[in-house]
Amino acid sequence: MKRWTLAAAAVTAAVLVTTACAAPVQTSGGGNAADGTTSMLIAADNGSPTFERNFNPYSPTKRNTASYIYEPLVIVNEMSGEETPWLAESYEQPDASTIVFHLRDGVTWSDGEDFTAEDVVYTFDLLMKNPQLDLKGIGEHIASTEVDSSDDSAVIVHLSSEDVPAAVIIAQTMIVPEHIWSGVADPVTYANEDPIGTGPYTLGDFSPNQYTLVKNESYWQADKVAADELIQPAANSELDIVNKGYDWAYAFMSDVEDTWVAANPDHNTYWYPAGATIALIPNMTKAPYNNLDFRQGIAAALDKQAIADKAEQGYVDQASQSGLMLPSQEKILNPDLPNQGIIEQDNDAALEHFAAAGYTMSGDQLVDANGQQLTIKITTPNGWSDWLQGVQQVKNQLAAVGVNVEVVQPQPAAYQKEMRSGDFDMVMGTVGGTGQPYQDFGAMMGAQFYEEVGTTAAGNFGRFQSPEADALLDELKVTVDEQRQDEIAQELQQIAYDQLPVISLFYGGSWGLFSTKSFTGWPSADDPYASPKTWDQTPLLILTSLKPAS
Amino acid sequence: MRYALRKFGLLLLTLWAAVTLNFLLPRLMPGSPADAAIARLAQNGPVTPAVQRAIETQLGVPGGSIWDQYVSYLHNVVTLDFGVSYTFFPQQVSELVAGALPWTLIMVGLVTIIAFVIGTLIGIGAAWKRGTWMDSLPTMTGSFLSAFPYFWTALLIVFFLGYVAGWFPTSGAYSAGTVPSFSPEFIGDALYHAALPAITILLTSLGGWILGMRNTMINTLGEDYVTFAEANGLRGRTVAIRYAARNAILPNLTGFGMALGGVVGGSLLVEQVFAYPGVGYLLYNAVTNQDFPLMQALFLMITVSVLVANFLVEILYGVLDPRTRR
Repeated sequence: MKRWTLAAAAVTAAVLVTTACAAPVQTSGGGNAADGTTSMLIAADNGSPTFERNFNPYSPTKRNTASYIYEPLVIVNEMSGEETPWLAESYEQPDASTIVFHLRDGVTWSDGEDFTAEDVVYTFDLLMKNPQLDLKGIGEHIASTEVDSSDDSAVIVHLSSEDVPAAVIIAQTMIVPEHIWSGVADPVTYANEDPIGTGPYTLGDFSPNQYTLVKNESYWQADKVAADELIQPAANSELDIVNKGYDWAYAFMSDVEDTWVAANPDHNTYWYPAGATIALIPNMTKAPYNNLDFRQGIAAALDKQAIADKAEQGYVDQASQSGLMLPSQEKILNPDLPNQGIIEQDNDAALEHFAAAGYTMSGDQLVDANGQQLTIKITTPNGWSDWLQGVQQVKNQLAAVGVNVEVVQPQPAAYQKEMRSGDFDMVMGTVGGTGQPYQDFGAMMGAQFYEEVGTTAAGNFGRFQSPEADALLDELKVTVDEQRQDEIAQELQQIAYDQLPVISLFYGGSWGLFSTKSFTGWPSADDPYASPKTWDQTPLLILTSLKPAS
Repeated sequence: MRYALRKFGLLLLTLWAAVTLNFLLPRLMPGSPADAAIARLAQNGPVTPAVQRAIETQLGVPGGSIWDQYVSYLHNVVTLDFGVSYTFFPQQVSELVAGALPWTLIMVGLVTIIAFVIGTLIGIGAAWKRGTWMDSLPTMTGSFLSAFPYFWTALLIVFFLGYVAGWFPTSGAYSAGTVPSFSPEFIGDALYHAALPAITILLTSLGGWILGMRNTMINTLGEDYVTFAEANGLRGRTVAIRYAARNAILPNLTGFGMALGGVVGGSLLVEQVFAYPGVGYLLYNAVTNQDFPLMQALFLMITVSVLVANFLVEILYGVLDPRTRR
């Protein structure tokens, strides 16, 4: 997803001018040096405007690349839900409230110490004792952890209840070394300036304007790591990215073909796959938003592809009402949903639904029994120009069926507050995105996140209530049988499709720019093994899949 | 002396009012620091409920009643301890400000002084030779340039001087990979990087000084005492500088005082375009992230410097213009 500050927008404009002038392209980026070392120029992390030296992997303000230094037990590709064993070679769930992780042998920390099961147990304890650091929320699932007394490379996690989906959440925890962290006075404010991890890279030179990561030669799969050095500058404006020959950048770019690709047509490629669903979230505690006919009317009146094209310049597709990210989650899609769950625009059907909800056409206005025009209010954050473009399109399309739309644009912080406390009529928001049905549908409509209006909620912002959905979620939580898990996921999709707890519009994009000049093997639509994003754990998949270009 | 004391009393009163406003205003903004932090993360995709909860426990809401917060805030102001920033958690606010201030002070400060001196001199020249090309050229260019918004000039300069010609670096305050020090190489590098933002500010602010000085001075030149001085056969330069300019400079001097006080606020748009690590950029980050501790420290610094600069200008006024002392 992209957000434009004034300056960024203007710089983008400047980039567009650039192509018109066909200025010479400098390539001062990464590449193969004479001595055979390979370096990669990345835009994985932005200084604001310079870097603070914070490599604490659990800090929300950490350097993004901290997750190239620390590794999790299992890496999850959130687009497909696919799991890749990492520091754990495998894990099993002997029953719904126990997980056993079998750790990989021969892994060492970058200071030479061995990686052990005690490190894993220590990390879990650390996060449970310091909820401020618990970004994955493992504390609410774990009762206790221990090293298996019969196998010192296995960790047993006892969950606080029958909780099958917890395994994948806990498995994504980045593990830190006990021999270093046990000496840290306050892990919450610890900036971890000299990080020691198990990952493919260690911190090289750090300055506020640029830092480097150098290959960890003792890495447990060092033979798979192609780049000897990663260079991360603090300033990565669109102008810089296009001109300086980056190998990997995460950036939305207007007219990417004529800017990024045109800068080096032989090597520059891009992949903008679908991410989480951007949706209109109706407030179920208010009329008429709690009326299913009304919601169906809105859903039928919208041409989601036109909205997507307007908002994201044609780089993303309309979203399925199933709540899934398509095509990456296709294999668990409910086959009974017509048209892959995409609700096509049909104004006649919309008017029928509105009539059932008590609104009739009078002249060119849709009016209620008292002759008042139907007016709805949509909240979207100020400054997120792509979303605003989308909402404007929604407004135009609803005007065509006689509905008046007021767009409210609070500042982002106020927007979050209003959304979380339920102080809205209809709000533009992101749903799903983890690739895990229990987490995605739970946060969309589960009672576990339900809060009264006025109380801050962490999910289910629309305050949707469905005993049927809750029963399914409860069952999914304790089901070990994978086939049954898929069935439940399909039933949840059916509820999302029938009840419209959110009205799906389009998929938020992930904006990957790659160059094949020095490295090949980037993820792509043909080989979607990882999201192009540069933070969290999936970059490890990319960094261990690249090959030097011949 | 009584004049100075009276002004000093007024300074203290305004200072207290500013400090109190500074406490209240950020708290009137809707949303908490946690909301702002979540909004920032949400720009890159969905924020899971677990992350939201972790951030809430970390940043939370400032504790205690408003009155308790006010008292501890006043205590912090006096002891200059502003605590930990929310945006750059766990960095100290004082470290962040200390990191940004030198860049702004040197770049924006020097340029402001240079622009004032050059602009005022050109203004004097233009008024003295009014009606000739020496008048029309600087006044017209000046008003033309100052009509552009800062950021637009900045973008043009980035594009033409930085990108097309490639003469200057387009962003940052020093080369990537170097560490700030007082070596001649580093200072040269920093000056090189400061060139484009400095040119931008110089170009856009010069016009104001020229026009201000020229217009007041043309008025002054019509005064009887100037005619009298000329009639006495004093040299043209003496009349221009000692008689006309000394009286005409007062409004410009007030403007200069304000501008100098405002220097510590940085130059937001220019710093943004050039990714210059100054106070303006820091302030922008603080405001968009609901970072109360950082905002308070920066606002305080700005208000205090504006007030002190104004105080000094008023004292200087008293020296330059004896009438104001009464």
